[in-house]
Amino acid sequence: MKILCSLTLFTMMAAAAFGQGLDLKHLDRLAAKANDTADVTLDGSLLKLAAKFLSASDPDEAKIKKLVSGLKGIYVKSFEFEKEGEYAESDVAAIRSQLKSPGWSRIVGVHSKKDGENAEIYIKTGGADGGLAIICTNPTELTIVSILGKIDLDELSDLGGNLGVPKLDLEKSPDKSDKSQPPKKKEDE
Amino acid sequence: MSYLEDDLKLALQRAEPSGDFTERVLARLNAPPRKRAWWEELAVLFQPPRVQWVALTVVASVVIPIAGIQYHKEQRLRAQGEMAKQELVFAMRMAGSKLHKVQQKVLGMSQTENRL
Amino acid sequence: MTVSSAEGTAVRVQEDLERSDEGNLPAFAEIVREHQAMVFSLAYYFLRDRGLAEELAQEVFLELHRSLASIQSPAHLVFWLRKVASRRCIDQTRRRLFWPKLRLEDVPEPAARTREADPLLTRALARLVASLPEKPRMVVILRFQEDLDPSEIADVLDMPLSTVKSHLQRSLAMLRDKLARTVGEIAI
Repeated sequence: MKILCSLTLFTMMAAAAFGQGLDLKHLDRLAAKANDTADVTLDGSLLKLAAKFLSASDPDEAKIKKLVSGLKGIYVKSFEFEKEGEYAESDVAAIRSQLKSPGWSRIVGVHSKKDGENAEIYIKTGGADGGLAIICTNPTELTIVSILGKIDLDELSDLGGNLGVPKLDLEKSPDKSDKSQPPKKKEDE
Repeated sequence: MSYLEDDLKLALQRAEPSGDFTERVLARLNAPPRKRAWWEELAVLFQPPRVQWVALTVVASVVIPIAGIQYHKEQRLRAQGEMAKQELVFAMRMAGSKLHKVQQKVLGMSQTENRL
Repeated sequence: MTVSSAEGTAVRVQEDLERSDEGNLPAFAEIVREHQAMVFSLAYYFLRDRGLAEELAQEVFLELHRSLASIQSPAHLVFWLRKVASRRCIDQTRRRLFWPKLRLEDVPEPAARTREADPLLTRALARLVASLPEKPRMVVILRFQEDLDPSEIADVLDMPLSTVKSHLQRSLAMLRDKLARTVGEIAI
């Protein structure tokens, strides 16, 4: 599988192939076999309701609020399995075949032989509505993300690269202000 | 610090409550005592003391459930909105994390190819 | 944060405290905004119920408003909020006699993961923490959400230091065991 040399990130405007996003219903049966399942369907009024509750004072939520403003729907199905072989290649092929329809292009395909990880990103261009699809697989995980609407890939990727990973403090800093406390009883050492 | 402790710090990062949290705290501080309706004032004037309790109980048993239903309706909508928001944040983070991972892999590989 | 800006914040909070004690509601609102994330998060990760956590957090701030005269400094304010929030969380679970307790053994193990930030792992870990018994759960949350060391946790929870250390050690061992079975050896 050819690996593309660069990933171009820019705001896409595209025509959606399906009003409802990809058809992922055939994956529902995998939930019974999965250790951990995530299933998100947000569109229409529910997406608007969710966006209303995003806080402008939280930096991540503010970013998401900005990203979501142009979206029509977001759909996620993610399964993590205890062992390999719980999902079939045909499960993934059924999704890829939907992404072969006119307007969709695969912009990235990454495959690692070492750990069997596979990732594909598709976008659809050429119209009023945008589309993004991500397929990630490894022997014990299957994740599909489908987003309809205008999406800024740069900002979306930035959201994923900055989840507030804390600094590694190897020892406590000595000048923490909340160490000063009112008179208290001696702790039991 | 171990990976587990890093992951715990990430999993237990501070989260913000809903956007109007402060306003709701202040509203509870400011909440005035319930003003009696005009007919309640009249009823008090014309009824002997021991019947007041009966009247108040009857009024309360009508007014409180209605207020309660409205309150629960608002609470349900709020809960629904908060849940939808959580799902949205999760979905966007999932998408962002996968995209970022792919981007890092591709950029790493392109650097290797350039060196070759 | 530089020393001068930390001092500036402390001065501002002190002023807000004094003005709140005099009945100045906007000043009290500033205090709420400054600390709402901390109080709400303690409750949320403990109770795993957003609605309940918000209600509990509101109660904490209402209690703070009643107790403003006893708050001696910005640092004392933070200590007081953590203490009251922790106590209310633990009391809350004791009141909910019929809450189906999720045991650590019942929470499925997360599958093997890579080291990048993974939203699924984050969510699974938060669930694992919520399945710990009440006091160890609060110890873990204070340690990793608030970055308190064991002696500070002992003060907040009014618990012997040895007990805090024991809770922390055992909880981490339980969590590590649950994860290590799928991820392999955890680097220490």
